Amino acid sequence: MPNTLSAPFIERRLRWAGLLIAIGLVVQLTTFIWIHPLSFIAFAMIACPLIAAGILLFLYSLVTHQPS
Amino acid sequence: MVNPMLGQVLFIAIAVVLAILLATRAELTRVRGGKILAFITLFVLPVVAVGLGYSEHMERATSTQFCLSCHVMHDFGQSLYVDDPSYIPARHFQNNLVPRDHACYTCHTDYTMFGTVHAKFRGLRHIYVQYFGKVPEPANIKLYTAFNNRECLHCHAGMRVYQEEPKHSKTPDMMARINSNQLSCMSAHCHDTVHDVATLKDVNFWKGGQ
Repeated sequence: MPNTLSAPFIERRLRWAGLLIAIGLVVQLTTFIWIHPLSFIAFAMIACPLIAAGILLFLYSLVTHQPS
Repeated sequence: MVNPMLGQVLFIAIAVVLAILLATRAELTRVRGGKILAFITLFVLPVVAVGLGYSEHMERATSTQFCLSCHVMHDFGQSLYVDDPSYIPARHFQNNLVPRDHACYTCHTDYTMFGTVHAKFRGLRHIYVQYFGKVPEPANIKLYTAFNNRECLHCHAGMRVYQEEPKHSKTPDMMARINSNQLSCMSAHCHDTVHDVATLKDVNFWKGGQ
């Protein structure tokens, strides 16, 4: 039986984590279209931070989750 | 044979679909299987995807197409087609002494993102200048530091034609000075005709290999 009090909070964070990672991965995919320095910059400065933020949010939601 | 790039795109596409699934159906994580799915989707797959992406972009950054993608580099690309073997880059490029699709990187291995932290910042500055600054004339573009013989010796060290070339041993210590980068391969009267983009309007171009 899930913890009905804390479950929505962790699920909300998981939603955000999934969204950040999905956006980051889509940006990463689009950077593969061009062979250009700006593609690398977009990968390093947009895609990577978005994905990293998603992963960190996921890990943060795990360590702060209080199971009953 | 599966195209590695296609495999990578498919992998990332699957990761995107799973991430969207969890973003829209987070309640899946209430059961054990969902928790495992979340760990794979929100940790394992993104980490692998970023690793693959980094590897792919670094590989692309070594390509001639990447280096010549900025307009200011056009003349340097043209210099590879000069129909004159005294132009060292052209001679190497046209005779496949360097791989044509990685021609720049083969001789400039410590440039921008492949060099020191300082070189990496220079690379960022190049991009800034390309779009927001005053782009210099190609003829005015110089290396920040003297070309290191190490780039030549990657291939030429130990080659018989290099070791036995009389011009490389005009003095007893000449070979040692070349090998230790004390005497540049591009010194005057040696291999001193390199890209020389200022002279391109007066030269003929090789029509092959395009």
